[in-house]
Amino acid sequence: MALTIVGLSKTYPNGVKALNDITLSIGNNMFGLLGPNGAGKSTLMRTIATLQDPDAGSISLDGINVLKHKKEVRKILGYLPQEFGVYPKISALDLLDHLAVLKGVASASERKSIVEALLHQTNLWDARKKAVATYSNGMRQRFGIAQALLANPRLIIVDEPTAGLDPAERNRFLNLLSSIGRDRTVILSTHIVDDVRQLCPRMAIIASGQLLLEGAPLEVIAALHGHIWSKIATTDDELRALEAEFQILSTYLIGGQHAVRIYSESDPGQGFRAVDSSLEDVYFLQLSRDRKPLPVN
Amino acid sequence: MLQFLEFCSFELKFRFKSVSTWVYFAIWFTFAFLCVASENFGPVSFGQGKVLLNGPFANTFNDVGAALFGIIIVAAIFGTSMLRDFQRDTYQILFTKPFSKFAYLGGRWIGSFVTTVFAFSGLLFGAFAGTFAPWADHTRIGPNHLWAYLQPFLFVTAVQIFFIGSAFFAVAALTRKTFIVYLQGVALFMLYVIGITVFSATRSLERFWSGILDPIGFILIDDITRYWTVVEKNTLYVTWSPALANGIFLYNRLLWIGVGLLSLAACWALFPVSVEALTARSQSRRAAKAKQQELDEVRPVRSLTSARLPVIQQVFGSGATITQFLSLTRLRLRNILRDIPFWAIVALLLAFGINNGHYAGRVADRNVWPVTYLVLQAVEGSATLFLYIVAALYTAELLWRERDTHFDGIHDAMPIAESTDWLSRLTAVLAIETILLFFTMLVGIFMQTIAGYYHYEIGQYLKELYLVTFPQIVTFTLLAFFVQTIVSNKFLGHGIIIGLFVLMPILFNFGWENTLYLIGQVPAYTYSDMNGYGHFAAPLFWAIVYWLSIAALLAVVAVAYARRGAEDSLRARTRLALARAPRLAPLAALFLLSALGCGSWYYYNAHVLNEYRNAKIRRDIQADYERQFKKYENALQPKVTAVDASVNIYPGRRSFDGSVRLTLENKLSQPIDRIYLTDQRQSVSDVRLDRPSHLLSSAARNIFSIYALDRPLAPGEGMLLTCNIGHQSRGFRDGDEPPEFAYNGTFFDSDYGPYLGYNRIIELTDPRRRREEHLPPLEEMANRGDPAHSLNNIFPHDSDWITYHTVVSTSSDQVALAPGYLQRSWSAGGRHYFEYSMGSTHVLDFYSFLSARYQVRKETYHSSHGDVALEIYYSPGHAYDLDDMLASTRAGLDYYQRVFSPYQFHQFRILEFPRYRNFAQSFANTVPYSENMGFIARLDKPTDIDFTYFVTAHELGHQWWAHQLIGADVQGSNMLSESLAEYSALQVMAHKYGRDNMHRYLRHELDSYLRGRGAELRHEPPLALVQQESYVWYQKGGQILYTLADYIGEDKLDLALHNFLMQYRYANANNQVDAGENTIASRPALASNLDKPYPDTRMLVDAIRAQTPPELQYMVDDGFNRIVLYDNKALSATSQKTGDGKYKVTLQVQARKVQADGNGNESPMPLGDYIEIGVFKGKKDEEQPLYIEKEKLTRDRQTFTIVVNEPPTRAGIDPYNKLIDRISDDNMIDVSKQ
Repeated sequence: MALTIVGLSKTYPNGVKALNDITLSIGNNMFGLLGPNGAGKSTLMRTIATLQDPDAGSISLDGINVLKHKKEVRKILGYLPQEFGVYPKISALDLLDHLAVLKGVASASERKSIVEALLHQTNLWDARKKAVATYSNGMRQRFGIAQALLANPRLIIVDEPTAGLDPAERNRFLNLLSSIGRDRTVILSTHIVDDVRQLCPRMAIIASGQLLLEGAPLEVIAALHGHIWSKIATTDDELRALEAEFQILSTYLIGGQHAVRIYSESDPGQGFRAVDSSLEDVYFLQLSRDRKPLPVN
Repeated sequence: MLQFLEFCSFELKFRFKSVSTWVYFAIWFTFAFLCVASENFGPVSFGQGKVLLNGPFANTFNDVGAALFGIIIVAAIFGTSMLRDFQRDTYQILFTKPFSKFAYLGGRWIGSFVTTVFAFSGLLFGAFAGTFAPWADHTRIGPNHLWAYLQPFLFVTAVQIFFIGSAFFAVAALTRKTFIVYLQGVALFMLYVIGITVFSATRSLERFWSGILDPIGFILIDDITRYWTVVEKNTLYVTWSPALANGIFLYNRLLWIGVGLLSLAACWALFPVSVEALTARSQSRRAAKAKQQELDEVRPVRSLTSARLPVIQQVFGSGATITQFLSLTRLRLRNILRDIPFWAIVALLLAFGINNGHYAGRVADRNVWPVTYLVLQAVEGSATLFLYIVAALYTAELLWRERDTHFDGIHDAMPIAESTDWLSRLTAVLAIETILLFFTMLVGIFMQTIAGYYHYEIGQYLKELYLVTFPQIVTFTLLAFFVQTIVSNKFLGHGIIIGLFVLMPILFNFGWENTLYLIGQVPAYTYSDMNGYGHFAAPLFWAIVYWLSIAALLAVVAVAYARRGAEDSLRARTRLALARAPRLAPLAALFLLSALGCGSWYYYNAHVLNEYRNAKIRRDIQADYERQFKKYENALQPKVTAVDASVNIYPGRRSFDGSVRLTLENKLSQPIDRIYLTDQRQSVSDVRLDRPSHLLSSAARNIFSIYALDRPLAPGEGMLLTCNIGHQSRGFRDGDEPPEFAYNGTFFDSDYGPYLGYNRIIELTDPRRRREEHLPPLEEMANRGDPAHSLNNIFPHDSDWITYHTVVSTSSDQVALAPGYLQRSWSAGGRHYFEYSMGSTHVLDFYSFLSARYQVRKETYHSSHGDVALEIYYSPGHAYDLDDMLASTRAGLDYYQRVFSPYQFHQFRILEFPRYRNFAQSFANTVPYSENMGFIARLDKPTDIDFTYFVTAHELGHQWWAHQLIGADVQGSNMLSESLAEYSALQVMAHKYGRDNMHRYLRHELDSYLRGRGAELRHEPPLALVQQESYVWYQKGGQILYTLADYIGEDKLDLALHNFLMQYRYANANNQVDAGENTIASRPALASNLDKPYPDTRMLVDAIRAQTPPELQYMVDDGFNRIVLYDNKALSATSQKTGDGKYKVTLQVQARKVQADGNGNESPMPLGDYIEIGVFKGKKDEEQPLYIEKEKLTRDRQTFTIVVNEPPTRAGIDPYNKLIDRISDDNMIDVSKQ
């Protein structure tokens, strides 16, 4: 199973360039798509999920022209949109059964077995007769996964699945994803770096519709090894000074003081110490490069 | 106070920024503008002939209409102002602020009130602007008076807004639920409409409480203004005055303002201004929900690793598509069936069905059998609106459901075809419609059963509901699908669909009548028990298929444009549509071909085979005829004196052909050298005269031809005119089918033959239509005694009494009838022939031809004047009223022969014809009688008015009053036939039902007369000068004569009529014989056979005067020569027990009398009238007289002291409403004890 995206571009009528010449190839495993809100992730996901047409470019899935033969793609697709609601007053059991029919599971017994398996898998069995519309966010997200997995799809697209989940729910959810994502193509879009780090053998970063980086998380982290430096800025003045001098990747608060991380080929001195590079550094570095050319490098 | 102003100004700012406020304003502006600017729009413009379109009455009436249809707007503004905080959850912020309840509620209320008043002020500006429309009928637009606009607005609209708005405001404040507010609005609207239906179906004459309790005002305004004449409508205002119509307007306004104040008080008292109280319920609900979710969550997590999912097989193919389709359809059906508003609609549909079904076909206290077409008409009529609402509503809901619930991301990525998805939506909506139609049928059958009618015609239900109505709903649904697909906003879509729905009848009224462009329309049709759908079936079928094809074609476009995925821009969707197009193209082509095919066929039939004429074109033809040929109106013409017709009716082709031979005589003293022929129906051809002549000119549509006689027809000389007549129905027309020709139930009359001279009947009579055609006002009929017109009779002006003979044939399964005695009948060439002749009895030149499959009821009436064969030709199944008709005929023959003269024929036949026309008409010894007019009347309660009995007696009366005595072609003569027939029937009725019961019937007659004069388009004439005014010659004429008989004695009046009849009947008949061939009127030799004047109302009045005692002579003048109205009223009545066990009643009454002119201007008349004074026992409406005497009243107020033997309960003046009194229900009063 391989998904090849070549030169995908999309400009919305209001002038927003959502996708700008994206070329990607995604293999038979879990692929993380990382980017800030509004980067074009959802547009890309929807385009792959046959819900939108690009202005230019092509997508092929094992030789199927995704843009042309949408129905063929839909047969093997499991899609969890970023936000979704459900019909009112319909239970998870009934709705899954209905969706299974739509996915071509014609045999009633097969349908029963897969729906029940998925309800168990997503831990919704006990709530299966409740109206989905009354589910909590986490349950609804799990229902989303369950429906995406109906009919054993070979291509699974999940768009920001962890948004709005509390930490425990998120954990459960990532476990579920990783357990199903092993032998199929799963595209996971998120703006949370940890999601990708934890789940995805391969990843890409996009921002402003452009592909900034593609690779395996471990490799891209390794590439920054020795180039990430950190320092605690004790005052706001100090922070301001550092900001002026260095390309700050990120800051976070530790006990009320700013821990500042920067990218530098060599030791910047001034009390910076070398730290392990993380996927977050990769992400912020790519984003900052996207915003303006780095002074160094 | 500052807070109050703040809330108020916030509300106003919010409202005036919102588009909806301006839309509401625009709606009312447009409505009022069109009401004034177009005569084809609005309730007043057409119903109320001469009433000023910008006068106080018109404005009041429009404001009442706006009050009804504006309920929902009032609900929208007042309701949402209270709900806004709760819908948007701003109440949490708001109610933590310190402010007073007064400021909050008061500010919001005032803000809403001002906004609503502003929105409705569109009525004022719209009507005002309408008066400047250059195309408007400016003869009906008076000078603009500010008060004429403001007064109704303040007293009707503003009060209406106040109390309805306050009620909605209170309900919204106390329930805080949008659904309930709208439900309240809809419920009020519906209940009101149901109430009106009941009120008008029972034709209640209750005019006090009905007006006071009316929350909207239709009945209220009708109670007050129903007898207002044009002058009054244009000058009087509906005011608070307690003197106006017993003060019902005052009390009504007080009552409803009180309701408004009560609502506000309740709102003030019960509304809690604290978050806690406001949200107590929703808070606890929310908490419960959170708790439940938590409980759901803490279930043990089973396993973190994945179990293997079972292996399944995906199948895609046509079988799978069907499974997908079924699953989607089931889901969507469930969507609808679980929707509460849907069940509210169903409940309303059933409630309306039950209500309307109960009153099916009942008009004006007349009880009828609930035959299937009447019940269907009632239940389907009320259901249709709901069926369309469901179609529009759920089409949009289902189309938008995935988007509205944000399920579209998942749904749209499913491997289903757009067409499957789309068809399942359509199927769901149509399945629901099918069920609703089934409910409609059940309600109909249920109501028939309840009414004790068990002749269920399931086939007719199925045909009407599923073959006629259902396809139209499909068309509408498909259009709704198209609109909702193309338009990017659901509510905009609804707006467009409703707009189209409302626009079609408006366009039709404006003369855009063509079915081919009136979206989704089908030509009007009428079901008849006799003829089924008959000739309407073909145009109905083709119009339905035509629009269905167009809608289906648009639906295919809609499928192509179906929203799928994230993109909404038209460009993207067009791209998508083009991509989908190749698969859909064949289907689109099929529908296109079908639409083109049906459209062409329809066009070919309606526009090529037949000349297409909408109402305006038909009026143009009439106007042209008048403009071009009126100059020949007084041209000298011979008279028709004998007719011999041969007619072949082809019911299967809805056609006939044949020929007539007219014998013409010059009965004038000058020679005649021209023959003028009017051929109004384009049915006359091949005119041959039996003397040398040539065609001088002819006109378009052969409507008028002039023949020059080479040798003039000398006075006293006769000649023959022979011509072919015929009518060919070709294909079908777009509406305007002549109702005369039916597969079963042909009925046409002598106007398909030639008419000598100019026929005034063709002229347009409606002054508005005449102005539109730039014609001068309709010429008044000639004065009595006019030398030229007196020589012609009122009915067929071109003839005197004729002898008549005809041979008529029809298809072998039908019977053909014409006036006259059957001479022989035979079959030849697969056809059925009948020969009828009047023998030597002379009749009016007015005959008809009928053909149908009849059943016959016969009996013989015996009397000293000879036997009469009574025959009723009726449609099988319509046997309900035969006994009643025969009884009426016998009673009529008894009465008329005894007091008027012997019946001149020895047969009397009643012939049923389809209900395409609704009348009974008296030809010589033959009465075609609509299946709607009699035949299904039902009498089970003693209060049921026996209308069939009355109509039959009336038509029989015409055998004397018309067929023995006919008046001259001058003013007043119509009453000689109509009022006298009406009077005759009233007497027959009185003999059966008793004098005391006549009161009930006569009250309706009086009501009809007073309403009729209120709607007069020209001017009301006195009875003896009546021209076109049927309310004068029927209702007033009957009442005047009946009362006169009561005053001077029935025998005296009948004697007067007998004398009049014997002196003037058969004027200008050459040689009249009676049923026994005895000569009863003869004229001298042919040489001096010149026409003499026909009688007119002067002779009738003289005859009556001769029998009237001197002290009642004033009644003859008042009744015939003036328009006189009484204002009689009982003022007070008290009773006192006397020593000898009797009761002394002191009664004070008011009596006034005015004379009105033709426009309704009144001037007082001196009183010296005999009026009945009565004292009664028993309850109101069940009074029994203890004392009743005619007293001479000379003063405005008079007091009477009357001693009676039993305890009195009621007393009054003119208690039986024998005199014409505009307020007939204040004549009696309760007697109070002293």
